[in-house]
This record gives sequence, structure tokens and C-alpha cells, in this order.
Amino acid sequence: MILKTLTLAILFILIFSRTVHADSSYVLPYPSFMPGNPLYKVNLIKDEILKYWYFGSFGQFKYNLKQADKYLVEAKTLFEYKQYLLGSEALKKSDNFFTQTTINLNTARGEGKDIKGNFLILKNAGSKHIEVLSKLGNEVPESFTWSPEKKKPTILQLKKDIDNSIEIRKKHQ
Amino acid sequence: MNLIYGLFLLSLFFFSYLFIDQNFFYLKSFYSGLAFTNRDQVSILHTVFVLIFFLIYSQILKNIRMFNIPKVKLLIGGTVGILIFSYPAFLSFDIFNYIATAKTLFFYGENPYIVMPIEFTGDSLLLFTHAANKIALYGPVWLGLTAIPFFLGFGNILLTVFSFKVFIALFYLGTVYILWKMTKNLYSVSLFALNPLVLIEILMSSHNDIVMMFFALFSFFLLSKKKLVLAFFFLLFSILIKYATLFLLPVFLYTAVKVIKKEKINWQKIFFLSFLSMFVIFLLSHFREEIYPWYAIWFLPFAVLILKRKIILYISLAFSFGLLFRYVPFMFYGTHFGITPIIKNLVTFAPPFLVLFYYFFKNKLWLKISP
Repeated sequence: MILKTLTLAILFILIFSRTVHADSSYVLPYPSFMPGNPLYKVNLIKDEILKYWYFGSFGQFKYNLKQADKYLVEAKTLFEYKQYLLGSEALKKSDNFFTQTTINLNTARGEGKDIKGNFLILKNAGSKHIEVLSKLGNEVPESFTWSPEKKKPTILQLKKDIDNSIEIRKKHQ
Repeated sequence: MNLIYGLFLLSLFFFSYLFIDQNFFYLKSFYSGLAFTNRDQVSILHTVFVLIFFLIYSQILKNIRMFNIPKVKLLIGGTVGILIFSYPAFLSFDIFNYIATAKTLFFYGENPYIVMPIEFTGDSLLLFTHAANKIALYGPVWLGLTAIPFFLGFGNILLTVFSFKVFIALFYLGTVYILWKMTKNLYSVSLFALNPLVLIEILMSSHNDIVMMFFALFSFFLLSKKKLVLAFFFLLFSILIKYATLFLLPVFLYTAVKVIKKEKINWQKIFFLSFLSMFVIFLLSHFREEIYPWYAIWFLPFAVLILKRKIILYISLAFSFGLLFRYVPFMFYGTHFGITPIIKNLVTFAPPFLVLFYYFFKNKLWLKISP
């Protein structure tokens, strides 16, 4: 009886399981505090302080990549919740931090440091970012008019922004 | 006696050079590979060296009454003079980790708590540094202090290695001096200063535990002089070297309150509590990773301050003895796995256990043996 159940269970797993493969081995962080959360500002202060803790060209590279990852995840989450204005802002921040990583690596190279290892990390990160952004590009509308109360509406070119972010990743890989 | 001791130290000095790493190309001409090809002979040699070292140590302690201050100074000075030139990575590679971390900070300008030495591909240090894939393990005060020996090495690895050795040896001498100031007892000082474990782990392997303990002892010394602020400052210094002395904080605060209240302080009790605190953290390290032989440096200075409690002294010496045999199973088998950890624990705990057994049952034993 036990053997029968076990065989059936294994067969069930084999039949109904599907192959899952990750597109990129690079792992993005979990979403952190989102705008609106009282701790979001505290987190911003923490990040500002951490900038000085991550000194040195490699340190700055790690910091900027970490921030680029963090804001990409933030943008993704906000877009999923249709918070397009905040999402766009987060994406712009991620772009800026990602651009900085290349500058950091160039500085490191100028200092005589071997950047091969970190360059590979950046390449993998870039691939992962592009993967996430491409998926996101299919889910968001072409453009969106954000009309807050008592303020001028803003037209967000969401698709264009995401394409631009992908280009930045491609350029800096 | 002096001649035998001197010759023994010289033999130990030569023995250390059998362990030169093949990748440590700066001493390529001294490389023999014997320690890695003749494992059984080297294990026996190490065992014999430890046994002889303890035999000489016991003889010195036995005859300490015949020694005057200049003679003990000569003994300690001579020991430092010989062992300072020994190969430091014969039992542990920590000195290379210290240098690699210092280089990450002072040469590459990177935060060693963020960036690992292994990230500097192509650096020759990576050839022989064993924990290059770790961020800095030690406190910021230690990192700051390493600037001194690192810059005194002028970028030359051999000079840097010996600069670190001298730096650590100075803290050893400082600790011995404080012990002398606290006890004015040649026996107590010699118990610590000439302990084979202390000499091997500090003067040969150059572990920074002595730096941490120097500041901890100095803190208690200042406390005895009622210099509270300075004492706290130095304890903090000690904690920020390797964190273990954080366990001394409750004892320190208890003593500080007594000093503030101008109450009479029983220093024997304070040192006993300090010993216990450091002994507990020493034993707890078994659960964190493993008990490394140099961790005995955490409680040994306090053990020699409470000579009246004989059992403490005996257990401390038994641990000093047993811990030095922890190296043998790896020397012999060349692996950290299999039977190695079991033998390591056996040799560490058997001597103190036997001492305890003898101490508590000696009367009953003698009663049975004697007619």
C-alpha cells in the first residue's frame, strides 16, 4: 500500500511538474519599504549614510549596483500596483545608480584594480534588469496621464521610459 | 638550563620553516615541502616539541625562586629575540589575513567590511592567504592599528610580515609588563610569559588576541588606579579589536560602581570573575566554530592573577597543554574532516578533565593506593 502510494506520488510529481529555469542567475532583492510607508524616509536616510560606508571604487560600485537593484524592484512593484508616477521616479533613480556603476568600475581600472570580476557581476545584473524591464514593458500602457488633485496632470511615456532604461543597461554592460 | 632552552627555541625556529607554503614564493629558497610530504614525522616532531617545551617550562617555574628580575627579563627577551624570526604561518595563516585586510583598507582604499581581498585578482597575497574570501572579521580598532605595521612594511611582503610580528610581540611585552605591575610576582609573570601556548601562538603565529587582552588588562589596571574614564576607553578599545572582551563588561561595570562608591574592592574576586567570563566565551566558541588554541589567551592572563585558586591554574595549564595538540590530527591526516575533529576535541578536553579528576579524587586515590 505504502509502495503504491509512493509510486503514484512520484508519478504525479513527474507528470505534473514543469521545468522551471531562471533566465539569469543574478538575484534581485525583495521589495523594501514603498513610498507612503512611514519607514520609507528612514530608509532613504539609511541609504544616504551607507553611501559613506561603501567607500572606495569597488565599494561605491557595490553601493550603486545595490541601489540600482533596489529601485528597479521598487519600480516594478509600483508599476504592478499602477502607481505609475512613483514607479517612473523609482526607475529613473535605478537608471542613475546603474550608470554610476560603470563610472565606478572605470575609476577602479584607473587605480590599477582588476575589474573583471565586478564587470561580470555588472553584466549579469544588466541582463537581469533587462529581463525584468522587458516583462514590465509588456504589462504597462504606452503612456499614462497622471492627474493628481489640485495639480497639473503629468503625461508619463511609460513604454519610452522603460525602453530608455533597457538602453542604459545595454550601453553600460 | 639557559643553553638547553636557547637551543630548543632555535630548533623550534627551524621547525617552523618546514611549513613554508609552496605559494609563499618570497621564501622559495627555504621551501622544503617536508611538512606536507612527511606528515607522520612532522606530527611526531610537533608532539615532541610541545612535550619538551612544557618540560622546560615546568623546570623554569620550579626553579623560579632562583631567578632574579634581570634573569627573567633575559629569558623573555631571548625568547622574543629568537621566536620573532620564526615562520609565522606554520600553524595558522591568520597573519596573512591581517595583512590582506590592512592592504584592502590602506592600499586599495576599500572598506574591508564590504570588499573581500579575493576581489583584487592578481594580487600576489591571494596565493597564500587562506581566508581571502571573507570580509574583515576583526573590529575597527584592530583595522586602525594595523596601519602601523602595514606602512612600516613599505610595500615589501617579507618586511610587512615581520613588521606585524614585531608589532604583536610589543603587545606581548606590554601584557607581561602590566602583569608585573599588577602582581609584582615573578612566578605569575613567568607563568604567562613563558607558557608554551602563549609563546607559540603569540610570538610565532602572531595572533592579535594578545592586543585585545593587553588593552583589557590595561583597562583593569587603570581601574585599580581609579582612572575610570581612561579605563572604560581602553576596555572599549579592547572590545573593538576582536569583540570577545565584551564579556568583561559586566565585571568592569560592577568594579566601576564599587570604585565610584569608594567601596573596598576584592581584586582577587574581580579577576576570578574576569577569568570566568573569558573562560565561558572560550568554551562557547566551540559552538560558534571551534576552539582555536590561541583563544586560551583570553583567560590565561586572568588565571595567573588568581594563583590562590589552584584549580583555576591547573585547568588553565592543562588547556594550554592540550590545545597545542589540536594541530596534530591535521598535520597527520592532512584533512579537517573524518576523525580529525574527534581527535581535536579529545586532546583539548582530556588534559583538563584528567586534572579535574585528579584534583577531586586525589585523596580517595591515595587512600586506596597507600597501605
